[in-house]
Amino acid sequence: MLTLRRLAFTLTALALPGLDAATAITRGPYLQSATPTSMVVRWRTDNTEASVVRYGLTRTELTSTARAEGINSEHIVHLSKLTPNTRYFYTTGAEPAAKAGAAAGTGKAASAPKAASAEAEDAPGKAPISSFVTPPLPGPAQPTRVWVLGDPGTKNETQRAVRDAYQKFTGTRGTDLALLLGDNAYPDGTDTDYQKAIFDIYPETLRSVPFWSCLGNHDGKSANSITQSGVYYNIFTFPTLGQAGGVASGTEAYYSFDHANIHFISLDSHDSDRGLTGAMMTWLKADLAATTRDWIVAFFHHPTYTKGTHDSDKDSDSAGRMNEMRQNVLPVLEAGGVDLILTGHSHVYERSFLLDAHYGKSPTFDAATMVKQKGEVRADGTVTYRKPRARTPHTGDINVVTGSAGHAGSTTKPPKLDHPAFYIALNEAGSSVVDVDGLSLTLTFLNDKGVTRDRFTITKE
Amino acid sequence: MLARATVLVLALLIAPVAPAHPEIEDALARLSAQLATQPDAAALYLERGELYARHADWPAAEANYLRAAELSPRLPRLDLVRGALALATGRPAEAFPLLDRAVAAAPADPEALLLRARTLARLARRPAALADYGAAFRLLAAPSPDLWLERVALFDAPADSLRSLEEAIAQVGPVLSLHLRALELEITLGRTDAALARLDLLIAGSERRELWLKRRGDLLLAARRPAEARATYTAALAAIATLPSWLAGSPEIAALSRDLNRLATTPP
Repeated sequence: MLTLRRLAFTLTALALPGLDAATAITRGPYLQSATPTSMVVRWRTDNTEASVVRYGLTRTELTSTARAEGINSEHIVHLSKLTPNTRYFYTTGAEPAAKAGAAAGTGKAASAPKAASAEAEDAPGKAPISSFVTPPLPGPAQPTRVWVLGDPGTKNETQRAVRDAYQKFTGTRGTDLALLLGDNAYPDGTDTDYQKAIFDIYPETLRSVPFWSCLGNHDGKSANSITQSGVYYNIFTFPTLGQAGGVASGTEAYYSFDHANIHFISLDSHDSDRGLTGAMMTWLKADLAATTRDWIVAFFHHPTYTKGTHDSDKDSDSAGRMNEMRQNVLPVLEAGGVDLILTGHSHVYERSFLLDAHYGKSPTFDAATMVKQKGEVRADGTVTYRKPRARTPHTGDINVVTGSAGHAGSTTKPPKLDHPAFYIALNEAGSSVVDVDGLSLTLTFLNDKGVTRDRFTITKE
Repeated sequence: MLARATVLVLALLIAPVAPAHPEIEDALARLSAQLATQPDAAALYLERGELYARHADWPAAEANYLRAAELSPRLPRLDLVRGALALATGRPAEAFPLLDRAVAAAPADPEALLLRARTLARLARRPAALADYGAAFRLLAAPSPDLWLERVALFDAPADSLRSLEEAIAQVGPVLSLHLRALELEITLGRTDAALARLDLLIAGSERRELWLKRRGDLLLAARRPAEARATYTAALAAIATLPSWLAGSPEIAALSRDLNRLATTPP
């Protein structure tokens, strides 16, 4: 297949000598699989060309080069031997400087993105220069900001408003990483859907912030976890062998990674075996047992509890996936000391008390035994919880359904939002921001108007 | 049989108006509106059936597939989705001929091959199932560990399962779920040294070595090698000593330490 593609390219290039001067970026660049010493840079061009990233520690000295083999239109370049916690500047393209000169005469920049970005502030004719910061070494604490987008991919004004509200909120405070909670691109998770719902909506962030994801049901329409094929698996590059921390899962459907003192676990609630003896569960138990990070954050698409645009009490809803995540996966997570569970699917914001051991339907919820802490409200409205630092099973976790980054539930027929496990439930579009600073983790739910609608902090002591 | 047919007819009749999950309401409304104006459009019935199948609404899905089959028996993918549905609803004998036709129509489609492999496995036709898994694996860039474990489970002899796991590990990499299955098989076969070697790989790759070392010690003890077991338990205690104090002080680790201390000092 590759040989045929190369042959086709060669023939085309011979027939059209000027072709290589007119390559334009149609997607990205975007960052994947960030580790303290490596980064995957991906982008797409409208024609095939060599995959080259030039990078360096200053904008004017891109002295290092990384390449992928062959000529491609889908470019995946691994940068390695990087220094942890360090800003790198980079540019992509076959040979940007030389081509830029050649292209300048034609009035067309070589490998220049079609939409200029705020960060791509370089001279006309040059390929744009972006930057990223490598994650710190795992273990020691470092202030970390995570942007959490659940079910964002509507491509509509609400999605843009949620994005803009976050950009205004975070201001000059950089985002360290972003989590996509699935249903990233409606309606079918096709390549075109992804282009319009992700790459055209978040181009600046994608250039400078590594995005991680889990599979949603709409992504699953164009992807298959068992065969690891389809659009979702083609677009993303996730660690399968524990390269970013955690235990090797062997699949991009579920994996884990570390950032400073946080261990993130991405699970596949849609398309992988959710049974007690399945490979995902076997891996999850070992992964939880292996981590020495202060915080454990798990994220997956289907919520354990919801009374939003889905109902976790209905066996038929989502083909029982919510039941399986609650009955099978949640006990393992809680036994492993999980602190925060982030899910989407239900297009609302629902946030639980500090809970443990609620594995049944909502009528079985027993606040007296399952609510570990209701939370104390500070003067600024932040709700606070405390947990022991020593990892202890079943000391409580907070479940957050934050699936409204692209749309909220109906206003004419609003969701019930009456699940007793939740401290607060809102039928509002928005995204969540997780800030971890040492032994303190704060989650803020920011609506599409930029208003903070919920904030809680877990402190370990 | 008559009862099922009645259910399917009813499902088709009520399908366009049946309460749906919120996320498919729009798609169902669109398809039903299209079907109202194009009642003979087999592809629309197929699409609506797949929509129901994705949400495990099997009667509605099957009713739509059957209508599509009546209108256009040779519709592409129809055999595949009908076979998948029959398999999902516990009817492998019905699934097989459908999937057989699906594979014949698309021999390079790994999805069809995998579905037929699973059907053959359910029908206890293991060699044929293994052949289909093999054919599908050759077409896939990265078969998942789940898929490899499905295949491994089909072998009668543990030694054959182990060979398949070695093949999987060579292709996928040192993945925990595969290593653990191989470890179980080594123990089943009484190959203690091979099992220990696998544990050593897990120990070397883990930040938390104490739990794997405990398991290694238990394996040595079961193999009547108490001196080595005690040394391993001692190593586990040493691993605990390297943990951050907040983690070493957790109740679970404290209990493990007590256990390890007892085991490390128990006379043979």
